[in-house]
Amino acid sequence: MALATAGLAAPGEAAADDRLLSDDTFAVSSPGPVVVDAGLIFGLPSALPTGLSTGVGAGITRACGCHFAYGALASWSSASESSETWTVTHGELRLRATGSIFHVAGRGTLALRLGLGGTVVREDRVRNQGMRAGLMGSDLEQTATQALPAAELEAVVTLRVVGPWALAIAGGPTGTWFDSHLRGGWTAALGVAWHP
Amino acid sequence: MKSWSLVGLASAVVGCGDVQNFSGDVPPLATLHVEVTGDLEAVRPPGQTAPPDLHVALVWGQQWLTEPLCILPAESAAAAAVIAAGCRDPFGFVPAQVDRSVPVTVGTPAELELATLPDASLLVGDLTARIGYGSLVVYDDRNGDGSLTLARANRQGHPDMGPDDGAEDQPTTQIDTVYGASFVTMTAPDVRLAYREGAFVPYAFYPRAGCGDPPPAFSVDAAGGFTAAAAVSATLAGMLPPEDPATCAQSTTETVIQIPIAPPADVAELACTERNADSTVRYREPDVDVPDFTGRTTACVHVPTFGAPTDVIELIVTGVLDGATPDACKGITHYILKGCREGPDCGTPDWDHSTAPPAWWPC
Repeated sequence: MALATAGLAAPGEAAADDRLLSDDTFAVSSPGPVVVDAGLIFGLPSALPTGLSTGVGAGITRACGCHFAYGALASWSSASESSETWTVTHGELRLRATGSIFHVAGRGTLALRLGLGGTVVREDRVRNQGMRAGLMGSDLEQTATQALPAAELEAVVTLRVVGPWALAIAGGPTGTWFDSHLRGGWTAALGVAWHP
Repeated sequence: MKSWSLVGLASAVVGCGDVQNFSGDVPPLATLHVEVTGDLEAVRPPGQTAPPDLHVALVWGQQWLTEPLCILPAESAAAAAVIAAGCRDPFGFVPAQVDRSVPVTVGTPAELELATLPDASLLVGDLTARIGYGSLVVYDDRNGDGSLTLARANRQGHPDMGPDDGAEDQPTTQIDTVYGASFVTMTAPDVRLAYREGAFVPYAFYPRAGCGDPPPAFSVDAAGGFTAAAAVSATLAGMLPPEDPATCAQSTTETVIQIPIAPPADVAELACTERNADSTVRYREPDVDVPDFTGRTTACVHVPTFGAPTDVIELIVTGVLDGATPDACKGITHYILKGCREGPDCGTPDWDHSTAPPAWWPC
């Protein structure tokens, strides 16, 4: 997720104007090295074999040169799927440390970001028809929590729109180590970035 | 960096969880405890010499009403003979659907785990108060399919003359041999599995008037039964036939359900389905050629009604009673010279042979 690598280079400053729309209305400010972003995320669940995990996420990125940046991301998403016997809901807390290479092109910034970290999966599964049958306790509902090593490689596109605000889109493949196997997937994000 | 600390924390607990997704053991919705008692060899049919593959199956019951012919007084000795041979016990348990089966040994407790609830078609009532009843049926799984194979009555005529419900695919001879059940008929003591959703309304669906309400969800309930005369009296009074409260019991599924071995001839109907559950009769048009009445019993009677007597005469025919493979499921075939599938009073008849009956027509 995280749309952070946005706008790490500086275009020109906007000028004040009395008109509602002027040449400077969509001028963008000169950002500092830090970018904060937040938005919606989508992706294949880390452990569930099917479904779409949706949620929100946020991140922070700091540039450390003309083409490199590092940062951190956190997101929460959930997915719920059913079989004949279970309805399983997975809540996923993704925590990533990121490193990026980026290139500024006008108002836009293109970046390739590698995220490494863990995904904490909270599983809640309910036995289908169990409540109607009078089941209680673990026969009716079971919970488990597991942390999974994970990594992702995302392409990030940021477009500075107005002032310190930017629109950011990211997406790419993911890998999660689950049940003694590397499980592939994908993630995507859509959000806004802010240059303090 | 903070994010690296979180990653480290997450990594530290890797492997400590047990996220299972859809795998792992599935808790049963209920576990029934059964024990078969009695002497199996004493009641085995003479022709069955192979070692029995005894199973117990949960069979859900259907709401079924017998046809008028079977409960109104017979108008002749011939009609009485057809009724005796062709009508099943009007108070008997009628199977609708076979649930799980497990192998069982006489004298050894067994457990039967239920993985699903009875579907809505097996429950009587609305969404706020509905109930289903099941009987635990002991049978010899002679075809080895692991389930109780239901049969249907061998009514005369074309198999496609009934409802398009696939029932014509069912055999007309019993493949598996039934040796007992926890719930055979309402006129004898029974132990039944009840599944209740919502409130309990005392319907006339295998009634237990005078007994306590079945608890919500699954329960094992007992009743002492009532007489046929008591049932008729109560029905005429607009009531449900009362049970002796001393014979009633409502308990959890932890209760061990005792199933006594019975002669197959006494419990064969536990494996017989019914296509028409609302007491309606499907009438048939007599063919030009004489039907094969070999092994069947016939009689000519007035079309029975609960109202004014009718002058319409019908031919009633039993299933095959004699021969190498007599029918195990009872049923009566109805022929009328003029009328429709629904009966003789259907407005414009679909057939009319009243002026020129077939040469074989005996009535």
